[in-house]
Amino acid sequence: MSGDTVITAREMGLVGCRRCTQVWPADTARCGRCGAALVSRDRLSLQRVWAWWLVGFGCYIPANLYPMLSTRTLFTVQEDTIIGGAIELATHGAPFVALVILFASVVIPLGKFFAIAYLAISVQRRSTASYHQRHLLYEVVEYIGRWSMIDIFVVAILSSLVQLNTLAAINPGAASLFFALSVIFTMLSAQSFDSRMIWDVQSRQKETEGAHG
Amino acid sequence: MADTPPKVPIEPARSGGAGGRVSFVWLIPLVALAIALGVAWQSYNNQGPVIVIEFKEGAGITADETVLRFRDIGVGVVEDVRFSEGLETVLASVRVDKEVAPFIDDSARFWVVRPEVSARGITGLGTVLSGVFIEGVWDQEVGDIQDRFTGLEDEPLFRPSRPGLEIALRATANGQLTENAPIFFHGIEVGRVGKARISPQTNFAIAEAIIYEPHDRLITPNTRFWDTSGFSVSIGASGAEVDFTSLATLISGGISFETFVSGGEAASDGELFQVYVDEDLARNSVFNASEVEELQVAVIFDDNIAGLTVGANVELSGLKIGEVQNVSGFIDRGTFGDSRVRLRAVLAIQPSRLGLAGTPSPDAALSFLDARVREGLRARLASAGLLTGGLKVELVMLDDAAIDRIENLQADAPVIPNTRSQIADPTATIEGVVTRFNNLPIEELLTAAIDFLNSAQSFVGSEALQGVPGEVSGLLGDVRGLVTSDDIKNVPVLLNATLTRMEGILQQLEQEQLVARLMGAVDAATNAADGVTASVTGVPDLLDAVQAVAEKAQALPVETLLEELAQLSDTASAVIGSPSFKALPADLSAALAEIEATLAALREGGLIENANATLASARSAADTVADAADDLPALVQRMATVLNQASTTIRGFDQGAEISRSAEAALREIQRAAEALASLARSIERNPSSLIRGR
Repeated sequence: MSGDTVITAREMGLVGCRRCTQVWPADTARCGRCGAALVSRDRLSLQRVWAWWLVGFGCYIPANLYPMLSTRTLFTVQEDTIIGGAIELATHGAPFVALVILFASVVIPLGKFFAIAYLAISVQRRSTASYHQRHLLYEVVEYIGRWSMIDIFVVAILSSLVQLNTLAAINPGAASLFFALSVIFTMLSAQSFDSRMIWDVQSRQKETEGAHG
Repeated sequence: MADTPPKVPIEPARSGGAGGRVSFVWLIPLVALAIALGVAWQSYNNQGPVIVIEFKEGAGITADETVLRFRDIGVGVVEDVRFSEGLETVLASVRVDKEVAPFIDDSARFWVVRPEVSARGITGLGTVLSGVFIEGVWDQEVGDIQDRFTGLEDEPLFRPSRPGLEIALRATANGQLTENAPIFFHGIEVGRVGKARISPQTNFAIAEAIIYEPHDRLITPNTRFWDTSGFSVSIGASGAEVDFTSLATLISGGISFETFVSGGEAASDGELFQVYVDEDLARNSVFNASEVEELQVAVIFDDNIAGLTVGANVELSGLKIGEVQNVSGFIDRGTFGDSRVRLRAVLAIQPSRLGLAGTPSPDAALSFLDARVREGLRARLASAGLLTGGLKVELVMLDDAAIDRIENLQADAPVIPNTRSQIADPTATIEGVVTRFNNLPIEELLTAAIDFLNSAQSFVGSEALQGVPGEVSGLLGDVRGLVTSDDIKNVPVLLNATLTRMEGILQQLEQEQLVARLMGAVDAATNAADGVTASVTGVPDLLDAVQAVAEKAQALPVETLLEELAQLSDTASAVIGSPSFKALPADLSAALAEIEATLAALREGGLIENANATLASARSAADTVADAADDLPALVQRMATVLNQASTTIRGFDQGAEISRSAEAALREIQRAAEALASLARSIERNPSSLIRGR
């Protein structure tokens, strides 16, 4: 066996439970340990990925257009979008915080969208790019997805702490809701992706190679 | 080791090969899309129209921030602020709420609310923090939608949100009006004065004002307004008094009102009220009842004379009928042909003071004045007082006036013709007085006065004079004692008693004396006659004595005596037969008539009881007099008989001296009786009324 190729469970006539990772014979319908339905390949996976992805991306647009925070001080009400707030922080001498915000609220969500889209397309197009790297990418996306909620946490904590009646108050803006939805939908999208499909291309290649050889 | 799992057929996990199966998850983006579309449609549907308000100044209007408020609730947001063409005005586009939009019709008015600090306080403080906002008012009825408006510069006085009575206030000749001043009623602010303007015809300040509900029912046509701005200082018997309503009105002005006369129906919108200078004037004006709108006439005086002030009296025959409302100098080369400055006085004449028949009105007053002017009524300046040098305008009738009439009857202020002013020049008079003072020999007077004072001083300083005050005060004490003594106090009582007594005596006299006297006189006469008769009866006894007497009388000049006796009897008969004696009854009846007349007058004077009593007594007295008068001829007859008897007797015994002597005595008696009768007759003749009064 070459280092590039791995033997998949399906090739071995097995099916793994996606919830509890127990391996069963290929024709087992239901996991004997956790009771989850067992399918060797989720044929609706890509549909679900794209559906969640679209909703998540759709939510991300208003999350950037509407204000994330509305800060009311004695005289003025200031409403900041995500990027606007980051720019303001940067100009007021907090470039590091601005960078963190930009990274957590813009770079990571966008990266996730691109990563998921790339994975889904690569599976559909039977890309021959490195399986391992793609799988690693998927793992990263899945892992990092929950940290995007750090923005929502910041907003939630600020708005619950800074409520000084007339003097000053911070309230979550409409964008925070959309941002949270976007994060949730993106995570669902990432979870819907059946990472086993990455390897199907490889097995098919093997088949064709074997047929020819 | 070779237990290779059985081959599993590979099915590609592609949607295309799934036999058309579609994941239900697609529902979620569809739902999201539907929600998004729904929200978009709804927000579009809920969007109201855009109206454009034109302002002179931006005044801090900011796009997307400045709100439009109605009854202090935001009903729209300014979307855009831009200039109109040519940068003349500022146009604010306001997106108004859909529910409100139909009400914004041509009744809508808009203005910018800004913070304002004035003497009465701070308004619009909220706009300091929130920025300015646009306030709008409109009625509660849906009208034709309009999308272009012109904003007001200031807050309007009348607003549907604060209804009230809309009135107009007019300042008097000397008064003033302050814009936006509050209107107080017993110190409570119940209204507000709006924008004031100068009335073009009358040179008065006129301001619209509002009395807010429910205080509007306090206003009746009898309500009087007065200015409470500023303060007044009065110094009188009760001390100094500083009076001002409130500190705010001290600075910014204010108006108070009071309805001095109760009753009267509530005033209606648009009514005009006068603002008096102070409360007293306002109060007095109520009692100048039925004052109506004043007639304004102008008078042009050839001389521009200082001293005629606004508020000076206009008098007709000394009665004040109006006031001078406005005085101005002017030059009119076109009318008068020279460039002299003339004085034009506008008089405000109160028609109700002219005493016209019917309802007094300016038109009636004008036609009245016009008719008088044709008859010679002229206006002239006259001195109001010598010391102040003030002038008044008099309307006087001139007999020799040329035919003239009021000019410009239809104009705002018709012109009354004038005549030569009658101004007593006080300065000339005072100059004359001063000259006379100058000519007085003051030096000599002073010298004499000093001398006099010196001698007076020495006189006053003398000891004798020093004692005088003590004596005077003693004297005064004596006088006081005398005056306060009981005797003096009793004097009036005594006098009264005396008078009463005298009255009684008088009455007594009236009743008794006349009759008594007449009776006495008649008795005396009868006695005398009786005496004569007795002496005649005793004649035979006396014959011897008479014989002797007659012998003695032989030598006496009997002839002379007889002659004298005849003379005497002639005289007596002449007296008795004289016309005055005969006229006595006539005089008596005249006196009676007089008494009757007096009694009638007395009866008329209301003293009927007294008069009746008096009349009764007078009548009895008169009856007595009449009886007496009736008796007189008989008396005279008897006397004549006695006299005849006596003369017969005397002739029969003319030889006896003794008889002659006794006859002589008897004759003397008779003569005396005749004299008494004659004196009585004379006194009655002189004073016939004495018969009645007894005096």
